[in-house]
Amino acid sequence: MAVLLIIQIPISLFNLNNIDPQDNLFIGLASIFMLLSMTGIYWLNRTREGSLSSYIFLGVVMLVVSFSDTPQQIANGRSLFVFMIPIVMASLILQATSTFLFATLGSIIIYIFAISINESPNVTAMLSYFLVALISWMSSSGLQSALKDLRTINTNLDKIVIERTNELADALTRERIESGRNQAILNSIADGVIVFDKQHVATLANPALSQLTEIPLQTLHGISLDNFVQLRNIPQTSQQSIKRLIQKSEHSEITPRVEWGDKVLSASVADVHDSQTHETIGSVAVFRDITQEAQVEKMKDNFVAVVSHELRTPLNAIMGHAEILKEEVHGPLNEKQLSVTQRVMVNVSRLLSMVGDLLNEAQIRAGKLTVRPEAIKTASLLENLRVAMDKAVTDKGLEFITTIGDEMPEELIGDSQRLQQIMINLTSNALKFTEMGSITVSLNRVGKEHWKIEVKDTGVGIPENELPFVFDAFRQANNLEFTTRQYGGIGLGLSIVKQLVELMNGEIQVTSGVGKGSTFTVVLPLLKEMKGA
Amino acid sequence: MTENLALIIEDDEDLSDIFTNALHAAGYKVEAILDGKVAEERLTQVVPKIILLDMHLPHVNGATLLKQIHANDKLKNSRIIIATADSVQAEFYRGMASIVLVKPISFAQLRDLTSRFLNA
Repeated sequence: MAVLLIIQIPISLFNLNNIDPQDNLFIGLASIFMLLSMTGIYWLNRTREGSLSSYIFLGVVMLVVSFSDTPQQIANGRSLFVFMIPIVMASLILQATSTFLFATLGSIIIYIFAISINESPNVTAMLSYFLVALISWMSSSGLQSALKDLRTINTNLDKIVIERTNELADALTRERIESGRNQAILNSIADGVIVFDKQHVATLANPALSQLTEIPLQTLHGISLDNFVQLRNIPQTSQQSIKRLIQKSEHSEITPRVEWGDKVLSASVADVHDSQTHETIGSVAVFRDITQEAQVEKMKDNFVAVVSHELRTPLNAIMGHAEILKEEVHGPLNEKQLSVTQRVMVNVSRLLSMVGDLLNEAQIRAGKLTVRPEAIKTASLLENLRVAMDKAVTDKGLEFITTIGDEMPEELIGDSQRLQQIMINLTSNALKFTEMGSITVSLNRVGKEHWKIEVKDTGVGIPENELPFVFDAFRQANNLEFTTRQYGGIGLGLSIVKQLVELMNGEIQVTSGVGKGSTFTVVLPLLKEMKGA
Repeated sequence: MTENLALIIEDDEDLSDIFTNALHAAGYKVEAILDGKVAEERLTQVVPKIILLDMHLPHVNGATLLKQIHANDKLKNSRIIIATADSVQAEFYRGMASIVLVKPISFAQLRDLTSRFLNA
């Protein structure tokens, strides 16, 4: 509208100078009218929405066109086609259909002019208006529908943009909350956590790690694995075990101990996988301060050593002195003295075996007990067992039967001392719970690759509900009838047997019933070498 | 070789006494030493038929003495019996002695074992 106004002014000025005075006045007035109208329309357009200003504008254009020439020219002459301008404009600036309104208006105007000068109206021109209107309408409505489509697309696009923006904002908020939460968790756990990328550069570390390692948190971020292990002058072995762990980066059940200054840390590592591609993107190492546990363990080891030496030595002395008396090294004893000496020996030997059991148990638990396979004569196993147990079994009035199956090889590979311990413990256990009948120990082949030790008694048996616990340490079949006090011992014999059997890659089973006796079966591999050798 | 001499190197007086009695009963002439340092010196002077060595000794420990015994060519025919309370240690020393005995060591056991060496 403003552009039209600017164009109108020079046209008006130009016209004023070149046309005869009567026309000049008329054109001048028309131009002023046009200028004023344009200003009014401009103002109206600024203050009011809608198409009213456009209608008025086109009306003014129509009016100016109607009086821009003589009535003859308007009705039949050259000005006839000037009416095409508002008709085409209507289709562009108003609705497509309004083009017909202005075609009709143009037709009415030229009809009136024609009547006023007593001429017949130019029907061809009037028809051409409608033809132009029709073409304008068609192109305009095409344009409009395209615009409408565009507007719909635009609206949808806007909607999608808004949705996406909201989603993104939500995700960002969630991410912020999540990462904030993860950070808070990392910050508050007591274990030191450090994440290395594939190039072994730290991408994340928590304050606990900084405290454990005494390396400032800022230094830990972005630190290389090499620098990480070298920064605090920790022992070479610890450096290597951390590096090996992280470079290998396979999750393992073994958590190596590393010395870090005056602390002892346990370290465990797991691969970090991308949640989408499952590709390995680095590794996370967790360090825990186990200084106290390590100290306790050391104390326990020391305790075991102290007990081993300090407790056994005086017991050994009592036993030895009693033996010297019994062997009458210092002269003959009377019957009473001999009996007392023997009772001292029996009790000391019980005490010694308990201390021995405790130490064995402690050593097995500490992983210090190993088996040493060697070639042993099968028959010697039973011979030695008889030497150790014959007297005790016959003293109780029981029959002691030992057999070797035909298919047993004459020689075995095994730890004779530990096998002896297994057989003695099982036989002692049988003896403890058997008052009459027999104890049978037999060695037999099981298939091609195994052999078994079977210890069968005719004793009180074990109640079914107690069977699962017979190999537990410090436990005996424990009801009123089967008390520890009644049967003696501290309940470690079978626990040690089970652990020794497992150390030899074997299995132990028990079948029993109350009053039916018990059978303990140890199945061992017939191998050239054994675990722990 | 000093005639049927058994050298007992054990710091516990009671055990030393028992071992002495056992070896005596087996027929040996027995000399008992309670201190590692004294034993170290004595081993340069005598060639015992049996050396009964406790691993836990004052001043010079059993392991050091064991090394010296193995290094001393004069003692190559001496029977070494190691006495220890630690069964793990016992396994470690199995290859370095004629017999390794884990305490408690019985009087009768020691007497019977050593009497076999007397005429060997």
